[in-house]
Amino acid sequence: MEYILKNGIVYDPINEVNGEKKDVMFKDGKIVDNVSDSAKVLDVTDKLVMPAGVDVHCHLAGPKLCLGRLYRPEDERRGVKPKTDITRAETGFSIPSCPATGYRYSRMGYGTVVEAAVPPLEAKHTHEEIIAIPNIDIPTLPLFGNNWFVLQFVKEGNIEDLAAFVSAWLKITKGYGVKLVNPCGSEAWGWGMNVHGIDDPAPYWDVTAREVIRGLAEANEMLGLPHSIHVHPNDLGHPGNFPTTLNTIDCMKDIKKNSEYRNQTIHLTHAQFHCYDGTSWRDVTSGVEPVADYINKHDHVTMDMGQVTLDETTTMTADGPMEYDLYELTGLKWANKDIELETASGLVPFIYSGRNPVHSLQWAIGLELALTIKDTWKVALTTDSPNAGPFIRYPRVISWLMSNQRRMEMMDNKEVHSWAARKSSLATLDRDYDFYDIATITRAGPSKIYGFEDRGHLGVGALADIAVYDLEPNNFDPSINAAAVEQAFGNALYTIKDGEVLVKDGEIVKVVSSRHVWSNVQGFEDEEKRVIEQIMPMFNKYYTVKFENYKVHDHYAEPSCEYKINASK
Amino acid sequence: MKQITLTPKKFSSIALEFDELILDEIYNWDKADFDKYMVPIGNSRFPLNDYFNIEVKGSAQGPEDVKMVIDGDAGRVKYIGCKMSAGEIIVNGDADLQAGAEMTGGSLTINGNAESYAGREMRGGELTIKGNVKEYAGTSYIGEWRGMSGGVINIHGNAGKQLADAMSGGEIYVKGNCDILAGIHMTKGYIQIDGDVTRWPGGQMKNGTIVINGKLGRLLEGFESEGIVADPEVDGRQLTGRYIKYKGDIGVNGKGTLLLNAEKNRSLL
Amino acid sequence: MGYEEPVTDYDKIVENCTCAFCGSNCDDLDCLVKDNHVVAVRHACRLGASKIMEDEDQRLKVPMMRNENGELVEVEWETALDAAAELIANSVRPLFYGWSETSIEAMKPGLELTELVGAVIDNQATICHGPTVQAVQNVGYPLMTLGEVKNRADMVVYTGSNPMNAHPRHLSRYTTFPKGWFRKRGRYDRTLVTWDPKYSDTAKLSDIWIPFEENGDYEFVNAIRAVLKGKKLKKDVIAGIPTEDIYELTEKMKNTQFGALFFGLGLTHTLSKQRNIDIAIQLVQDLNKYTKWVLLPMRGHFNVNGFNIFMSYEMGFPYGVDFCRGYPRYMIGETTTIDLLNRKEADVFLVIAADPGAHFPSGANMHLVDIPVIQIDIHWGPTTELADIVLPGTFIGVETAGTSYRMDSVPLNMKKAIDPPETCREDEWIVTELLNRVKKIKEASK
Repeated sequence: MEYILKNGIVYDPINEVNGEKKDVMFKDGKIVDNVSDSAKVLDVTDKLVMPAGVDVHCHLAGPKLCLGRLYRPEDERRGVKPKTDITRAETGFSIPSCPATGYRYSRMGYGTVVEAAVPPLEAKHTHEEIIAIPNIDIPTLPLFGNNWFVLQFVKEGNIEDLAAFVSAWLKITKGYGVKLVNPCGSEAWGWGMNVHGIDDPAPYWDVTAREVIRGLAEANEMLGLPHSIHVHPNDLGHPGNFPTTLNTIDCMKDIKKNSEYRNQTIHLTHAQFHCYDGTSWRDVTSGVEPVADYINKHDHVTMDMGQVTLDETTTMTADGPMEYDLYELTGLKWANKDIELETASGLVPFIYSGRNPVHSLQWAIGLELALTIKDTWKVALTTDSPNAGPFIRYPRVISWLMSNQRRMEMMDNKEVHSWAARKSSLATLDRDYDFYDIATITRAGPSKIYGFEDRGHLGVGALADIAVYDLEPNNFDPSINAAAVEQAFGNALYTIKDGEVLVKDGEIVKVVSSRHVWSNVQGFEDEEKRVIEQIMPMFNKYYTVKFENYKVHDHYAEPSCEYKINASK
Repeated sequence: MKQITLTPKKFSSIALEFDELILDEIYNWDKADFDKYMVPIGNSRFPLNDYFNIEVKGSAQGPEDVKMVIDGDAGRVKYIGCKMSAGEIIVNGDADLQAGAEMTGGSLTINGNAESYAGREMRGGELTIKGNVKEYAGTSYIGEWRGMSGGVINIHGNAGKQLADAMSGGEIYVKGNCDILAGIHMTKGYIQIDGDVTRWPGGQMKNGTIVINGKLGRLLEGFESEGIVADPEVDGRQLTGRYIKYKGDIGVNGKGTLLLNAEKNRSLL
Repeated sequence: MGYEEPVTDYDKIVENCTCAFCGSNCDDLDCLVKDNHVVAVRHACRLGASKIMEDEDQRLKVPMMRNENGELVEVEWETALDAAAELIANSVRPLFYGWSETSIEAMKPGLELTELVGAVIDNQATICHGPTVQAVQNVGYPLMTLGEVKNRADMVVYTGSNPMNAHPRHLSRYTTFPKGWFRKRGRYDRTLVTWDPKYSDTAKLSDIWIPFEENGDYEFVNAIRAVLKGKKLKKDVIAGIPTEDIYELTEKMKNTQFGALFFGLGLTHTLSKQRNIDIAIQLVQDLNKYTKWVLLPMRGHFNVNGFNIFMSYEMGFPYGVDFCRGYPRYMIGETTTIDLLNRKEADVFLVIAADPGAHFPSGANMHLVDIPVIQIDIHWGPTTELADIVLPGTFIGVETAGTSYRMDSVPLNMKKAIDPPETCREDEWIVTELLNRVKKIKEASK
């Protein structure tokens, strides 16, 4: 099938297209430079056209999500929608059911969403959920930062075996990249403890976060993985944590990058939660300045926002001890799930409110980060969904970034507490993002960060993943129309995935299966085999499942989108 | 003023669902509107007038001008008065599950017994049940820690288990007896039980008040006696007689108040 | 019981099969196969081994329908499937129950059928760990995978359950006896505690036995929590336990390094129902202020947890989900199986991989006599006596591969060891056939 998307105003930062009126043509799911006369015409004259969105960090499928859904029926009954002839019923607000997740991303014009934390032992579960989520491609990031084998290899300084282990485990879990969450801290949570800073060793292991981060980064670059290590640093959400954040990214500055497409060697995720100054919740202030300053001066790090949206939501993270701290703070129902030899995790419902000083400061810090980091290619839009807010609020976050007027209005009207203005520099930042910037932080940048050469742009040969929004950039000023921006980005005029129209006028018109996106490293097979043999006695003794039943069998990851990676040893 | 009278004429063992028939939505319906209304039963809808003789008299400007009478047994009609905000509904018989659930105003009177979840998550208004009520009256939705927050529930008969779970406001009066764990997880509000209570009122309660004028079967260790009080006053309500006053539930650092009739509970002294 | 010679006469061994009995889902079974029969099972407990080896016992092998004399007689697959589809398509309050002994793969078309016709879908949780799910929804769920207990736990508590009889390898494979990374001496490094009114086989093995009185669970745990908050207990004996024992136990639980609490139906089905679990969960949450504690319900069927997980990710609610209005609703007591049967609401009952005839209260079963019952199962049982249409399935984990979730939510791909009887069909196939046939009927009537 051939299509021509006519006369849209196109923003395609990877190809440096900045608001040009042009046609976008695609055939058989790919962007092409010409089509025959029989091509179907979609007239989008003067409408906003971008590559489909790419989300660098979301929690949308897997055991934590499922636990959240299972234990929060009061959230599930929010957002209930009956089935239609095309779609199944929807449930959930902060933790929507799988079908609802796919529909809602699709309606916002997204095409690819990364599931940011997968415990390898339960990776099958994540893939089962991906099968139930329609309309988006989903790469997954298995958790490595507290894995016992990783801790052992790091302790031995054995980077080559660590790389082989990572390579093997990406195959076993059908994973895309390497995730670290509170390295050593989640292992400490196995004893109800935590670590503080990157030089505090995990109990009994005598290994520090610094060693784990550097070890996994070296292994990551040895394999030449398309994405860098993806790091949730220690001390998340603690007042005064910004030095830990700085130490985390700074300890990486001499690691040599082994990828031509991406620029970074470390991706700092949900940075908002990691930029606090002060010593307690009473005297907490923004710690954005030093972190943003560092990122502005160094090119080896990218970040995503983790923007607080001021909603009632569900926090969930592999950072088990942090969730217990949160439970002690709120008293709301605490769930926890520790995974043998691999990780911890926890969940607590959370009510962010603009009346609350701390939440308002958190809201300000996320925006402050995005507005003070100069190079938008280093910034990605996220809410660490659902932690700082559900992903359906992305359009609102876009409207805040595009309008200083709206931000000032919120601070002036007391929609947020005065701490937002008093304890951060947000009120002094009059920068407005334009559509090119938005396209950069929601599609182009994220795909660069992930090394997706085939998406996030509209060049010839790219996947025909396209979003059209009901805004006319040449006749519209987003800086004074926040509500209209939010409305438009929340209800795509068209969402096109692999050349098929899935959304029209904000409604789902077609449902397709999501693909499981994973990295298949080539050239490390012998090392993988040797390492698996080497660790098997420990595996058999301390896991409670057999290795044969541990892996994600191929049929759990269909349809798959496999990237073959040539490891350069 | 408008009066809508629904007189049952046919029984369905599969419950009718009345969540769409709230006065806020139907105050301006005439007889013809009712006659063409299809009521949800299971996975289908059937004409309402198969099941009720329908009579509509007078007119109304809003729900507050309407009185709806279900003149007979509605023991298989769920969600009567659910989410109502104004007006009056009277049931001259039993009511099925979820009567008055999520109501925010107006009044609902059930002259018979009510099934479980009567007054679930009530925010306002008045629910009166002349007979008994089953489990979970005035409770929260499952998983929700913010339960009934306003309004009044009067139960003239007995109340079943786990009355007013997670109550966070409003008042409940039970004239009869009450089963286990009344006011579990409650954080605010007032419960008064005139009859006897089997066991463990106020388990895991954080705050609020439970008054028991009858005899209590068993008290939890999480309650600490603060001695005897005479004619206590609770948020403007004057009680008469001697009460043993407890604070609890200590297990959750609770500051709730439990007042037990001293005469009827001498064994605890 | 005498010594049994090891089986040596077999054609092949199929290794690492997952046991399709209890929620322990032991995945280390080696099935010894001869002439397409499992003649022995290595590593399995007696419950698991006998279920796997005696697969032919009272096996349903052909589709059947009840004739005018009320007898079940063999019919063609086509006939039985069409009749079942017709019943489902024309029902007003269909109820699809069971699912806990079949695979996730079979649940998928089952849910699709539920959504299509606006049915209620429910599983055995509704009569077993449903109160646990409710409690979890009320106060949270601090759990772990079983390997965490194996590697770290120095105190293991069982309450309201008797794993030595019901989950026989639970102690030996996961919690108490195995040598873990931080518990190199296995059993000797752990304190085993049982709270149970009964002196069960598990209690007999335990270092500490706390026999609280029946229905005393809530009061007992409430007292421990009060002690944790520093209260001096007033009574001498609480829920049948002397107060000094409660102090001592509380102290031990506070001072352990890693504790794990396992509970079963003895807690979910006594007087305070879900509140027993509710308060036990809160106790574990309290204990985490001092040290590390986790808990886990002892799930019964090998995929009862799987259904709850499956329904949660597909539709946001774990069990008892009502689609009659075109969107899912979840309300315990209203959309749950026993209530719908006791109230005589359901008008067609599809039961798959479950035996309500044996497990339901009689009031509920009385209603099953009055309405059409469609059974998909592998064995003749009390439910078959109630069934009007019988569709013989295959044995998941032995004859058919499929996905299940262990009690701690670890997903497992259950292998097949032998081929199913030729006349039987896989659950997934049967449900898909029903779905397709109902779709046709619905389309024709449009």
